[in-house]
Amino acid sequence: MAALCAATAIIAVVVPFAAGLSLLGTVPMGLLAYRYRLRVLITATVAGAIIAFLIAGMGGFMTVVNCAYIGGLTGIVKRRKRGTPTVFLCALVAGAVFGVATVTALAILARLRHLIFESMTANINGLAAVIARIPDMQGAADQLKRDFATALAHWPYLFFASSVLSITMVTLIGWWALSRVIERLLGIPDVHKLESSPDAGAISPVPARLQDIRFRYPRSDHDALGPVSLNVEPGEHLAVTGANGSGKTTLMLVLAGREPTSGTVQRPGAVGLGRLGGTAVIMQHPESQVLGTRVADDVVWGLPPGKVTDVHQLLTEVGLDGLAERDTGGLSGGELQRLAVAGALAREPALLIADEVTSMVDQDGRDALMSVLSGLTQHHRMSLVHITHYNNEADAADRTVNLTGNGGAADNTDMVEIASAPAPTVAAVHHSDVPVLELNGVSHEYGSGTPWAATALQDINFAVHEGDGLLIHGLNGSGKSTLAWIMAGLTVPTVGACLLDGAPASDQVGGVAISFQAARLQLMRSHVALEIASAAGFSMYDQRRVSDALAMVGLDPTLAARRINQLSGGQMRRVVLAGLLAKSPRALILDEPLAGLDASSQRGLLRLLEDLRRHAGLTVVVISHDFSGLESLCPRTLHLQDGVLTPTPTTTGGMS
Amino acid sequence: MSAPTASRTQRKPVVLLRPVPGNSVIHQLWAGTKLIVVAAIGVLLTFYPGWVPIGMVALLVLTAAWLARIPRGTLPSIPRWLWILLFLGGLTATFAGGSPVIDIGSIDVGLGGLFNFLRITALSIVLLGLGAMVSWTTNVAEIAPAVATLGRPLRLLRVPVDEWAVALALALRAFPMLIDEFRILYASRRLRPKDVAITRRGRWRGWWLEVIDLLAAAITVALRRADEMGDAITARGGAGQISAAPSRPKAIDWVAFLIVLVVCGVALALELTILGTSAVTS
Repeated sequence: MAALCAATAIIAVVVPFAAGLSLLGTVPMGLLAYRYRLRVLITATVAGAIIAFLIAGMGGFMTVVNCAYIGGLTGIVKRRKRGTPTVFLCALVAGAVFGVATVTALAILARLRHLIFESMTANINGLAAVIARIPDMQGAADQLKRDFATALAHWPYLFFASSVLSITMVTLIGWWALSRVIERLLGIPDVHKLESSPDAGAISPVPARLQDIRFRYPRSDHDALGPVSLNVEPGEHLAVTGANGSGKTTLMLVLAGREPTSGTVQRPGAVGLGRLGGTAVIMQHPESQVLGTRVADDVVWGLPPGKVTDVHQLLTEVGLDGLAERDTGGLSGGELQRLAVAGALAREPALLIADEVTSMVDQDGRDALMSVLSGLTQHHRMSLVHITHYNNEADAADRTVNLTGNGGAADNTDMVEIASAPAPTVAAVHHSDVPVLELNGVSHEYGSGTPWAATALQDINFAVHEGDGLLIHGLNGSGKSTLAWIMAGLTVPTVGACLLDGAPASDQVGGVAISFQAARLQLMRSHVALEIASAAGFSMYDQRRVSDALAMVGLDPTLAARRINQLSGGQMRRVVLAGLLAKSPRALILDEPLAGLDASSQRGLLRLLEDLRRHAGLTVVVISHDFSGLESLCPRTLHLQDGVLTPTPTTTGGMS
Repeated sequence: MSAPTASRTQRKPVVLLRPVPGNSVIHQLWAGTKLIVVAAIGVLLTFYPGWVPIGMVALLVLTAAWLARIPRGTLPSIPRWLWILLFLGGLTATFAGGSPVIDIGSIDVGLGGLFNFLRITALSIVLLGLGAMVSWTTNVAEIAPAVATLGRPLRLLRVPVDEWAVALALALRAFPMLIDEFRILYASRRLRPKDVAITRRGRWRGWWLEVIDLLAAAITVALRRADEMGDAITARGGAGQISAAPSRPKAIDWVAFLIVLVVCGVALALELTILGTSAVTS
């Protein structure tokens, strides 16, 4: 399964890259061939080629096939640990085969060949005719005409030779690039958790009796969970609470069928993960759990062939009735999670495990999702285990188990907190009257003039002053991300202007720093020091500035030597901030800065940002669908609804 | 209708894999029908790229576009360099002269070269239009099930068609998410200060390192997404059904097949008999 997914993801990388620079498309394909079997590569090629065909016609199709061939060749050679000579030989052979194929195809398609050659001849002859008019160039023109005609007369050789030459060249370049990238890519950690259980016998996951369970991940020196004893009875709603690192997710894995390191699990039958009448799991990330492109397709996705499902009734139960034909891409986080519940219910599970399903959903979505979840055990014959770090969500349960976390706060122990931010590097001019950012009548429309035109923002006016703390609050699809991109100068609004210090922000990209929700996307280099140096524009050998930057965001300077892939989510966000702040930006925009962080990392990050704003005069704009905890960082709040600023009373304290 | 409301003229973006809103006859056709038709016409045009087949297929595409109510705004803006290239190509081809010769005043202009050039240009445009029609009128959710149905005969040859269809469906689902992530990747790249190397060699080196870093970041993101999707698949007990609605041709599809067959047949007949323009003459 992992291979299938990797194939999928790779296709999605190859297609856009292949469109721009086909050479780059070979690298992901090569990685695929290096990591998995040939069958995976073929699957990826077929799917990728079909998509490319839909986007760009025959040309796209050929590009993907070409990338797959070169990438596959280099990947397989690399896996077999052969060297450049092998690649060279293979490329020669492949070039010859491809050349013969091209020549044969053109020989059969005589009429098309004729047309192409005629048209090329016409162009060349025309060019020659022009050249001939220039005095003394008659000879050169004739020469050109003659040479081209000679070349065409021998077209099979010409095509064969150019095919061998170009394929050998491209293969060698692909090989060279892949050799460089592959070491970087081998360090990418495998974060997949669930493993499909080999099911023998009848499926019956409850009642489950867990006795003194401990769990230790491979290559780890402490238990992630345990010892824990607990029972899951049929038909009960059980809540499991606990802080980050207490082993909540690990408990989910054990319930879903993973063997504990020690202790016993007793069940009457097999776990049956994802099977009818077995165990269903709903996870944290709303987007990546939904597998179908259309709502109705997602509900039945993966069901055994022939199983008939009442999609309409399931969607009604989770409050998504009437959306069956909608694209899943347009749903909000809360709706996606409810859709995941419907998908789980389609399997009529005896045990449903919900693992932190509300943590990436806004408040409204959270309420709707909770009301769906708490009704489940009454309407179905199933047990519900709800894992959460919100205590109020646990109240709906029949019973609550609190994991105290003797596993140790594994991820966050090495995040050294420094009480107060050290000497500011940002110019500390407090609350001047000249605005830093000014938006005048800004409206934005995507895809203007096409049938897909969509208005994202309408007539937005506001100003942000030095040292301000502004919260832009809005739900999914309110246009707040577009607004953030405009303020950072990354998007030019269709109407109006966004001014940074009086000049258009789009001419000063980089003047306003922006921290995206997905921190990993902003970390491009391999190591922390390199990353910060590159983001801030100084040499990576300038250790003092690197450690200053790290200290500013409360990270230990020893972290500088760490690989990016070894950082936790909270650390990644701080490293991004370190890189951004070291450049002394005019303002800092944070898109959902707290999403996906546990409570203590959230508090730490907020305290840090508040310190920077108060003592270093940093201008902060936060974009969020949540208010909680942001009041002291952002004394001023703007509400954005459907692309319009709504006049809700704003608290304007803190502006001294 | 096209009074510009925006203060700046925006280049119309290329919209990918998103059908034009509507529920016309063309939208209702089974996705498999459209794929077969495109493949069949593609084969016809590569074997017989004469004026008659090109013209008739163009007529077919235009009729379909009219039926599907595709507005002109759907077409992406054509960059200026492409126009210039086309113009230059046409110009040099005209200078070559050729068999149909017309008199303009006192000059004889041979149009043979130009006609050949125009024919190959028209061929490319028609083929592109054909593909575009499919992606403008087909919901992406229908493509993978249609491929699974079409590929059913291949199953007898032990070709893993269903696996391909699942991969295709997942890729189409992941595509918009990853495009978004790449947009962010590109944006954060723009936010960074440019490395300024003094020597040309240093600049090249920097450029290469940057490309490799970007690739590594893109692949990291994609693989992470893949791992999460893999978890979701495992949680659903592996791959199985991919579509709630059955995917097979309806009555309307047979009508469409018939029309396309007649058009192609007539085009082929004309091309081979009285109006042949693609025969190898020399």
